[in-house]
Amino acid sequence: MSGPIDLIIWFLGTAFELLFVVCSIARKSFLRYFFLNFYLLLSTTVSIGRFFILSSYGQSSDQYRYFYFYSDALLTLALFVALISLYSHVLGELSAGEYVKWGAVFLLLGTAGFSYVVVAQSTERLATSFAFELSQNLYFVGLVLTYILWGAVLKLRETRTRLVQIILSLGLYFSAYAASYALLNFSGKFSMMRYICPALGCFLPLSWSLTMLRYTEESRLAPAHLVAVPR
Amino acid sequence: MSRKLGALVLAMGILVGAMAIKTVLTSNSNGTVMMANGPAPWPIPK
Repeated sequence: MSGPIDLIIWFLGTAFELLFVVCSIARKSFLRYFFLNFYLLLSTTVSIGRFFILSSYGQSSDQYRYFYFYSDALLTLALFVALISLYSHVLGELSAGEYVKWGAVFLLLGTAGFSYVVVAQSTERLATSFAFELSQNLYFVGLVLTYILWGAVLKLRETRTRLVQIILSLGLYFSAYAASYALLNFSGKFSMMRYICPALGCFLPLSWSLTMLRYTEESRLAPAHLVAVPR
Repeated sequence: MSRKLGALVLAMGILVGAMAIKTVLTSNSNGTVMMANGPAPWPIPK
């Protein structure tokens, strides 16, 4: 079984996930950000399932390992859909819905195809390797998609505070994971990342909840003041 | 160029970029698993 710090981080993260859903309902924004709510609700359900399996079989058991990786692939898919829904919010006024829809379908199929090609030669169970590879590849696709979305936000001079902060939080979350991924691969010290990565898992729902609490849908970012330079 | 073809080209570009980042970050990989969702503790590697 995990130590007390692991459990505290885990319970806090799950509480923050539920907090976002409660805030969305209280602020009457549940349907507007339905896919973000869906992702966090799914993550809460998965957390409860992981807890029962962990307490029954232990952290090093095959049961926990398989449940962890399969549920993670499912969560990454849900996060991908949530990210695409943010594209629809930002590009909604440009009538680019057709592009976003087909782009998301092609990207998902392309990533699934690429993942299959990578694991086809694997000697391990194909379904397990595929779920793991797809999850990791989709995560990196999500990273690139978030940066492109941030570029679109800057280019279109998006002023909706909530939307901007939600996208910024997602960008920070993906970037922090990429940094920890690189650190882990270069250092090879598993124990170093034991607390960092689960703590990062708390960051996203907490920052989204704070955004939902602090700002209404009508909140707008004030444009920067122009500096008049005398000639 | 049709909308679908444009979306396909863009999607493939994003996929190539994402896999390039992954390759750079995992170039020194020791096979350790790292996943990205939720606050649950990782399974202990065998």
